[in-house]
This record gives sequence, structure tokens and C-alpha cells, in this order.
Amino acid sequence: MTRKSRRLWLVGGCLVGLGTATALTLSAFSSNIVFFMAPSQVHAHPPAADRTIRLGGMVVAGSVRQSKTGDTPVNQFDVTDGQDAVTVRYEGILPDLFREGQSVVAVGSLQADGAFRASEVLAKHDETYMPKEVAEALRRSGKWDPRYGKPPDAASWNSMAASGTGPDKAAPQHGS
Amino acid sequence: MGENETVLNATPSLAARTGNFLHRYANPGRFLRLGARLQPWLTWPAIVLSVAGIVWGLFLSPADWQQGDSVRIMYVHVPAAWLASSGYMGLAVCSLLSLVWRHPLADLAAVEIGPVGASVTAICLATGSLWGKPMWGTWWVWDARLTSVLVLFFLYLGHIALIRAFDEPQRGYRAAAILGLAGAVDLPIIKFSVQWWNTLHQPDSITLTAAPTMSTAMLWPLLVCTLGFTLGFAAILVARLRAAVMESRVRTALAMRRADPHDATREPDREPDRDLGGAVA
Amino acid sequence: MTHLPYIAAAYGLTVGLAVLLGTSAALRLRRARARLAAVERPARATRTNAP
Repeated sequence: MTRKSRRLWLVGGCLVGLGTATALTLSAFSSNIVFFMAPSQVHAHPPAADRTIRLGGMVVAGSVRQSKTGDTPVNQFDVTDGQDAVTVRYEGILPDLFREGQSVVAVGSLQADGAFRASEVLAKHDETYMPKEVAEALRRSGKWDPRYGKPPDAASWNSMAASGTGPDKAAPQHGS
Repeated sequence: MGENETVLNATPSLAARTGNFLHRYANPGRFLRLGARLQPWLTWPAIVLSVAGIVWGLFLSPADWQQGDSVRIMYVHVPAAWLASSGYMGLAVCSLLSLVWRHPLADLAAVEIGPVGASVTAICLATGSLWGKPMWGTWWVWDARLTSVLVLFFLYLGHIALIRAFDEPQRGYRAAAILGLAGAVDLPIIKFSVQWWNTLHQPDSITLTAAPTMSTAMLWPLLVCTLGFTLGFAAILVARLRAAVMESRVRTALAMRRADPHDATREPDREPDRDLGGAVA
Repeated sequence: MTHLPYIAAAYGLTVGLAVLLGTSAALRLRRARARLAAVERPARATRTNAP
């Protein structure tokens, strides 16, 4: 075996070892790397009442209640991961992207009554990017309501939006 | 190059064969000729495509239905993120060539990739922060994607420092190559962080396995920007590497001259340390 | 344009840093080429002039 071959095997071996060590470490600490907990996880393993956690999920359509005490807006909404829901209370201004159906991450702690008191709410947008007109057309076509879920595949936007922009707006049936 | 290796077996090993192939391209003179010919083909398309992509993204592409115009930050953020990772991939390859085959050009390339890669990583982090504040509502969060890219930035900085830390350059090359190769474990972590763990950062819109989740009116300027920035990265690297090869030739020539002013053909390191200090600036 | 300050800052930073990296690389290449030419010329002259 030449010196170069020996070095190649040595370097390869070191890399395999390092990669395995990293993978094991990451999988061991996986629960700590997670940025937020979903409502079902919070219910399955309820954190201590004074511990600050991050709760993530989708804002349930129709659950948002907004009022005002003095100048600060008081918001209440439900966050769901599809299996479970947690009610979040937050005093303060919500980010621009906040809406029903949007994914959010709330920082705060679980109260004794099961509600979540947030000190900060972050909006989490998805990986879909579409122009305003397309979103409008999709909504008009009746095939997608942003309050109830993710938008359809980008490849299908044209055909779906086309069926909604025709003269007869109440004709979502003739879409393929 | 510098070492004598006796190949005992009749069929050369994988390492030896790869080495032969590599050393055809290790010749600095050959690289200078190739680089000079390549340079205009990188520089000019890079400028044209980058300017076109920026104008397209900034003024001609549509605003996003929920993010409004801030989505335009994507056209600089995504190419910077792509280059930060691919630049480090290049650094890791150079490190492997340096450690196993003692490839002299790979060492010079590793020296030059460091600062350029760190710059694009800084751009990626800064533009991401400028995008996160209006959209997420925060400049920074410690989620897996953001943290692993920050680690990449520190890997670049560590490499830049380490490769220049020794009086004897060869020792710096070896040490930095080990760091460069070991740091490559961060690359898959960056890539898959948004799938393995839930993060505030959204998953990738463009993947090899699925159709892009993006309107084509936004996809095209993004692709043009990415191609332009990538060519620009390559153009800057080739220019810096050509300069580095020329600088090392100047140093060698000066060293020869000082060792014996009347004979330019003598070995360069007869009297290596006498008054090289001033010449190696 | 919504969020203009953020967009302007992001583009300004990117273009600024790209121009800085590009021009510094070009200037360094020019200087290195000039120095190499200056160093190689006398060396070649002595070699060809030597009897």
C-alpha cells in the first residue's frame, strides 16, 4: 500500500467515525434541537408550569378573539397540529403575517387551566410563494381557502385559477 | 511531487491513479494558462446575469400574496445560502486533495476560498435576518437551520485563521485541511435541518425530488440570480487563485535572486531564511 | 413597495460586498501580474544575454 493510499484510508476512516459520532449526538439530543413543541406533544408530556417552552402549530380558523385593555391588544386563539389544540393568550401586537390558518410559534408557558400564556408570537410562513393575483384567483375558484390549509401544488395553479376567473364565478365544478 | 513512492504492485492503486490524474492539473503554469482563458467567460456572464436577476427580482417579479414585497429578499438570500454551502463543499474537496495527495494548488485554493465563502455566509445570515424581522417578527432565533448556518460561518472564520497561523505554510495547510474536512459534517445538517427537526425556518421550496412550490414568475428571477452569483463566486475565486500563483512565483524568483544574484537557475531554497522576510509581504 | 428599508438594506449589503470582493480580486490580480512581469524580465534578460 502506498503512502497516498494509506492517507486516503486514514482520512476516510476518520470521516466515517466523525460522521457516526455526530449522527449519534444529534439523534440523542434530538428533542432539545427541536425549536417548538406541537399541541399533541404538550398534552402527552406536559411541561412544568413555570417552564418557558415554544408551542408551534396552525391558528384554528374562527378561534381568534381580539379585545383591548387600554392600549395593548389582547389576543386569544387556538393552535392546532391536527390532532390536538391549545388555547393561547397573548397581550401585544401580532406580527404582520398572523392570520387564521397561518403557522405560528408562541413563546411562553402553560398555565394551570391548560391555556398557554405567550410572551412572544412569531409567524412561521411556509415554503410556498405565489403572486397576489394567483392567490386571489385560487380563492375565487373556491378550491383553496387559506384559513384551512396549505395551497395546492404550484403546477396546478394555472388550470385551477383559470376555472375561477371565467365570467361565471360560481362554476368551480368544470375544473378538471 | 516531493516524495518518492515505490509502487510495488503492478496495477496502481486507486489513490495512485487518482493522484496521476490530479497532478496533470496541479501544474501552476498550466493553471495560469487555463485560468486566463477561463476568466472572461466567468466574469462577464456573471455581471450580466447578476444585474439582470437583481433588476428582475427587484422590479419585475410579482409580490407574494402574504409576504408582500419583502419576498424580494429571497433573490439575494437563497443564492447566498446556496453558495455558502457549495463554497464549503469546495473547501472540503480541497482539504481532501491536500491531505491525501499533497496537491499544491488545492492548498492555495483553500486559502482563497475561505474569505469569499465567509463573505457569502455573512450575506446569507444578514439578509436572512433582514427578512426574518418583518416576516417572522424576530431578527434571530436559535432554531436548527439558523444555528447550523452560524456554525458554518464560524467554521469559515476558523479555517481563515488556522491556515494563516503558522510561520511554515505547510503546517497551516495540513491543520486547516483537517478542520475543513471535519467541518463538512455541518453541510448535511444544514440541508436536512428543516426536515429532521421542526424549525421556524420553512423547508426548501426547490428540491431535486419534487416540483418547486413557487410561482414560475418568481422561480425564473431566482434561477437567474443563482446562476449569476455562482459564476461571480467562481470568477472571484479564479482571479484570486491566479493572483496567488503569481505571487508565489514572484516570491520564488526573488528568493532565487537573493540566494545568488548572478545565477537565476539555482535551487530556490539554498539559503532560505536570510532576507526573505521583507520579500514575503 | 412594502418593507422597503429591509429590502434596500439586504440588496445594498449584497451588492456592496460583491463589488468589494470583485474589485479587490481584480486589483490584486493586476498587481500580481505586474510584479511577476517585473521580476521575470531581468531574469530572462540575463539568461539570454549570457554567452
